Amino acid sequence: MSITSDLLRGHTDTIILARLMASDNYGYEINKSIQHKTGGRYELKEATLYTAFRRLETAGCISSYWGDEQTGARRRYYSITDIGKESYQTLLGEWKTAKEMIDNLIKTEEYE
Amino acid sequence: MQDKLRKYIDGLFENTTPTRKSVELKEEMIQNLHDKYNDLLGEGKSEEAAYNIAVAGIGDISGLLKELEADRDTERNTDNMNQEARQKSAMLTSIAVALYILSPIPLIMLELAGARDAALIGLPLFFLFIAAATGLLIYNNMTKPRYGKDSETMVEEFREWQSDEKDRKALRKAISSAMWTIIVAVYLIVSFMTMMWWITWIIFIIGMAIEALMNVFYVWKKN
Repeated sequence: MSITSDLLRGHTDTIILARLMASDNYGYEINKSIQHKTGGRYELKEATLYTAFRRLETAGCISSYWGDEQTGARRRYYSITDIGKESYQTLLGEWKTAKEMIDNLIKTEEYE
Repeated sequence: MQDKLRKYIDGLFENTTPTRKSVELKEEMIQNLHDKYNDLLGEGKSEEAAYNIAVAGIGDISGLLKELEADRDTERNTDNMNQEARQKSAMLTSIAVALYILSPIPLIMLELAGARDAALIGLPLFFLFIAAATGLLIYNNMTKPRYGKDSETMVEEFREWQSDEKDRKALRKAISSAMWTIIVAVYLIVSFMTMMWWITWIIFIIGMAIEALMNVFYVWKKN
């Protein structure tokens, strides 16, 4: 499990960008959908999430704004920028390449 | 229990200087934690359990807080740089004003000493001083760091607008003061050379007309 979460953590940016490709969203909702999509087996620590938001915002990949909820406290929403969409495609491509390479490197049937 | 969450987050931010960024992060965290806490209650968890799960999910934010502090230090350095720039600007302005005041001195000295063709040497010197002073003022205005917009809030926009307006006013003042010094000099020179004191005061009227026209031009250009 620790390798799994290490691998997942290495793709935090890609995962967040992928969530935002669909629509603007706020921290907890993003984390909830990550949890949902992994069948409850994976969830980002809030520290990891906010650090990633900050990094992505500084890089110009996402921008943030405060929502105008009528009731309760206001939420901070994130939205993907054009730079972010490009980065997402690059990161996705990189993952696909890596996946293919790892698959080839760790399968063993040729020795059997 | 909601208050307990806020208190917990307050504790995490205890040693962080409140800046816009850190306060925003804190509010964001509290809001998201509340949502999570309420969801957990909705799933049938006890208040105690919901609180513990929510707090356990935060992780270590010390690295993030350190980054925020580092940001603040950078901002403070920029402030220091602005102060240095202000000092430099004040010095340049003082030198320029001193040059304006000193400009007629050579002419007056030569005149008093009774040198022949005093105006021939004194005048170019006089204009050299004025030119140098005006040059300094204009250079100062062009190189002064402008107020940078770092967020899209209205306050920032207003401050930027204000700083624009101030720059323009300063330039106008510099031009106006240079002009009047020159007018006084021209009046004195023309009067001494022609000795037609009864009519040379008209130079001041002409000066006022020029200034009025310049004002009209400014207003017209602004619109």
